[in-house]
Amino acid sequence: MSQLIWNGLFVGSFYALVALGYTMVYGIIKLLNFAHGDLYMLGAFTGFAMLGAMGGLVRSSSLVALLVVLVLTMVTTGLGGLVIERVAYRPLRGMPRLSLLITAVGASFALEYGTRIAAGPNPRVYPVRLDGAAVDVLGARVTMQQLVLMAVSAALMVALAVFIGRTQQGRAMRAIALDPKACLLMGINVDAIIARTFFIGSAMAGAAGVMAGGYYGKIDFLMGFIIGLKAFTAAVIGGIGNVPGTMLGALVLGLLESFGTHWVGGEWRDVFAFGFLILFLTVRPTGLLGERVTERV
Amino acid sequence: MKKIALGAVLGAATLAVSACGQGVLGSDKTDDSGPIALGMVVPLSGSSADIGPYMKNGAQMAIDEINAKGGVDGRKLQLRVEDGACDPKTEVAAANKLIAAKIAVSVGGYCSGSALPTLPLFDRNKIPMIIPAANSTELVEQKLKHVFLINGTGDQQAAAAVSWMGKDGAKKVAVLHDNTSYSKDIATRTATGLDQPGGPDKAALDAVTPGESDYSANIASVLKTKPDFVYWTGYYQEGGLILRQLRQAGYTGKFMVGDGSVDAKLIKIAGDKAAEGAYATMTQTPDTIEGAGGWVANYKKKFGAEPGPYSTQSYDAVRVAAEGITKAGGTDGDKVAKALEAIDGFPIFSGPLKFTPQHTLSNGGFVILVVKNGAFTLRDALK
Repeated sequence: MSQLIWNGLFVGSFYALVALGYTMVYGIIKLLNFAHGDLYMLGAFTGFAMLGAMGGLVRSSSLVALLVVLVLTMVTTGLGGLVIERVAYRPLRGMPRLSLLITAVGASFALEYGTRIAAGPNPRVYPVRLDGAAVDVLGARVTMQQLVLMAVSAALMVALAVFIGRTQQGRAMRAIALDPKACLLMGINVDAIIARTFFIGSAMAGAAGVMAGGYYGKIDFLMGFIIGLKAFTAAVIGGIGNVPGTMLGALVLGLLESFGTHWVGGEWRDVFAFGFLILFLTVRPTGLLGERVTERV
Repeated sequence: MKKIALGAVLGAATLAVSACGQGVLGSDKTDDSGPIALGMVVPLSGSSADIGPYMKNGAQMAIDEINAKGGVDGRKLQLRVEDGACDPKTEVAAANKLIAAKIAVSVGGYCSGSALPTLPLFDRNKIPMIIPAANSTELVEQKLKHVFLINGTGDQQAAAAVSWMGKDGAKKVAVLHDNTSYSKDIATRTATGLDQPGGPDKAALDAVTPGESDYSANIASVLKTKPDFVYWTGYYQEGGLILRQLRQAGYTGKFMVGDGSVDAKLIKIAGDKAAEGAYATMTQTPDTIEGAGGWVANYKKKFGAEPGPYSTQSYDAVRVAAEGITKAGGTDGDKVAKALEAIDGFPIFSGPLKFTPQHTLSNGGFVILVVKNGAFTLRDALK
């Protein structure tokens, strides 16, 4: 039982890092950024390239090297997110929501197949593998590496929550989510804040990508697709647009998958998880912690 | 209005041109002096992109050898390769392209699930299809007149797997597949074999979603049944991850993969330590066939690389196609199919060839490989 909970929480923390970008962007400009899962993939490949460039340096202290690469990759994918926002989304701001949605799908394909051209269609294997002896914690097998990865994602999430809740920048973000036009009138640089939101969200996804690469080992240019869907599900379960809700939703989704597999078998796992998505959409469309939509508009 | 009229004229012109083209190419087919085209749909991109070049090179090698000896009935052979990406839509488009190019015989087909929809296309156009690698039993269940398999089928692989599990002393076997046609076929047939009285028992039969990274939930659910032998029948990407995560979850029993997972990348993804000692059910590969040393050397000289899985089967597919055309005395699809059915004792890598009434090999020729020092090596020929 405790093993199931641990597995669920571990997978959930990956979903959470990706889902946060989804939810932040949706919260602020009501855009479902379908290219977001691909920024996770971009992060994994950027990390792969950096580790390759570091070469022999890596072997001696793999965890430290991976953490350095993690930070550098976050900056890179963050910039990638900025570029996508500037090129694909900003020119369409104020257009019907549907045009933005289609552009997002286009951006997703551009990232996927651009990576395919640059890095090839074959899966790559990370040069650094996080693999350690397992420790028994309350009947669950836990490795040091899992704990480190969980700690990193928890730290990133706490930092994000503080940033949004306690800083002036964060307040500006929340204000734009409520009423972008009024913000403009109050002298807030709306474009800059939106760009910053993309940067942060993309950096989080990039971090998840590097961590997944280091932990699971295998990366390929389509790896962002399924996790993008799962992150979207997590965001909807928790309440899309709501940051703590999204974190909760991701952990809930991880646990649902873990227990679903245990109870109904592996081939039903996704049916089980996505069935819950449908249930949430019908019974509680605003998600676990989402606010009522009417308050927003 | 003008635009529409122009469009109509253009459309008509295109039609006329394509009709002409067909006429010209059509007469080409009965022309007995031009080269004979063999078509091949293999994955050159996508998740199984590693395999395509091996198959293409194997086929090209056979074609060059045959052409060096003067071709078939004085006509040279030609290979046309299209990328199928192991994706049903891409593969159907590729097959249509080959049909339009008037190939005489198709010698491709790797992923069963995506090769399946191309079968009726080739069959309807009376193009014999000698499938070198794809081996789901579903491929021959439609009983198409022009479809032949020269790889062992799913039930032959499952029988080999069950017999090895018994020989290796397994008690409780968990079978995992990825819900694709090929993988599920072997898995369910293996499970049926395990359900027979005597021999090892079935602990679990479960499926995973391909394309994910984390299979810990599936693994926890499988380990709950306490297996001492796990058989994965899917492809190598997930296979590597599952093997690694099984070991991380503390599983110490045996692990075996099907032929779709026999690839050096499996060992790389799983890591040397986790992969060591893993078994595989596999049709014969150049390095496990006795007496293929000369062939391997020729291949290396020609392509500057080691031959990989299905190089030999593709090489054989071309040779079998050439034999069929020779015996039929031309490229007429029906006659070639009849000639293929009549083949008896034609030497191919897996032994003397004779098709069963279902157009499969009478002898699957599966062997057991084991990962030793980071590479697949022959463990047992199951003879």
